[in-house]
Amino acid sequence: MAIRSDSAGREKSYLLDMLPGDASCILEIGCGDGRLTQKYADTVTRVIGIDLPSTLPREDTERLPESVSIAAASGVHLPFPARRFDGAIFSFSL
Amino acid sequence: MVRALSEARRALKRGGRLIDMRPTMRNRAVELALPDASLFIGEIDSAGAFSDHVAANDALDAALAAGEFKLEHHATFEIRTDLDSLADLREFQGELRRSMMPESIFERIAALIADEPADFLIRIRREMLIARYRRL
Repeated sequence: MAIRSDSAGREKSYLLDMLPGDASCILEIGCGDGRLTQKYADTVTRVIGIDLPSTLPREDTERLPESVSIAAASGVHLPFPARRFDGAIFSFSL
Repeated sequence: MVRALSEARRALKRGGRLIDMRPTMRNRAVELALPDASLFIGEIDSAGAFSDHVAANDALDAALAAGEFKLEHHATFEIRTDLDSLADLREFQGELRRSMMPESIFERIAALIADEPADFLIRIRREMLIARYRRL
């Protein structure tokens, strides 16, 4: 028994098409357990993913690349200085 | 939504890109894929989440009108989730948030696979939208 979601990889394909080629630092808002993050993380220099504490995984995130950091934060109060990121992704969160 | 969009704009460099990816306001369709046919079984009711979609669209429209962002590209695409059994479908149902899968879907599939219990696939189709905006 198994649940196989998007085995055709369409989500990743469309997302990679949309990511700007010159983006180096990406903020992902609503990253959850990093399911989407790991699909594009190797194409950019740095990813910071945020989500509400109740949504973040309790287990570690060692499976994610070293370029990815996950933090507990709200999208309506971003704990970052102005004009820090080249790109921002709302994944199921806007 | 407006506040989140405003915060994202603040955190983006000028000319940075914002990508919005989320489901559309169409319900997910459940199908039964048999060796020689694909049968529509029913829909997963996601109307409970539609107000969020409307609010997000309104916030984006306001940001575009205010000259804060410019729409560069948008598209819709479909994500398929394949399941091997009614037990998988029940597990999938348990993970739904703000969506309702009617019991009639389980009943109809159970009736249809009664004669061919091994040779089928339960398929869920979900329409997604993705859009890219440039921060002005």
